[in-house]
Amino acid sequence: MGKSHEKLLNNLEGLRKGAGLTQQELSESAEVSRKSINAIENGVYVPSTVLALKIARTLNCSVEGLFRLP
Amino acid sequence: MTFFKRFLVLFISGAVQVFFATYLLLELLGLSLGWHLAYHNIMFVPGILIFLGSGYLTVSYYFFSDEKANNSLYDEFTAVRYYKLGAAGYAINGIGIFILYSIQDWSNWNFELANNMIYQIAAFAWLVFGVLMVWFSMGDYKESKSG
Repeated sequence: MGKSHEKLLNNLEGLRKGAGLTQQELSESAEVSRKSINAIENGVYVPSTVLALKIARTLNCSVEGLFRLP
Repeated sequence: MTFFKRFLVLFISGAVQVFFATYLLLELLGLSLGWHLAYHNIMFVPGILIFLGSGYLTVSYYFFSDEKANNSLYDEFTAVRYYKLGAAGYAINGIGIFILYSIQDWSNWNFELANNMIYQIAAFAWLVFGVLMVWFSMGDYKESKSG
């Protein structure tokens, strides 16, 4: 697990790097800004359900694989 | 539209608004700096900038920007930043209006003082949202570059 929000642990950075994507590439696939991806990875921001699903689809994993409750 | 262009539009509009609102509020509170605007029609400038700036942002969103750029510029993280600053603005305005009410001379209340208080409230709200616009523009651009 990477740096996480107090209410949501995330593994986004590891999965993104594992998929060989930059923040910019992931943000374009998920239709958000790069800073949103950065904010999620650093535990600054908890994404909406739609954004979480888009990220999961891009990384070909489940939302539960990306995020979990502390 | 890019993050830098949006920064420029919002920062310039906000900074001009802060300048005029501060000037007006100081005048209304009797804290004049001993310097006065010679040409008062210039007070329309911040309003015109807001009108043109918001028009430019709207037109660029619908007509001069592709979907990829719009997805990046107007995503949910930006919306959250906007909502948070808007909420802070309303809270600060509430406190400010309370203070402005508190400092009025109610023992000699008349229409002139009432009119002056309304202007004070308007100038204060104008100042608060100008500061927040500058704040938003700087944070938004900084994040687009580094985080």
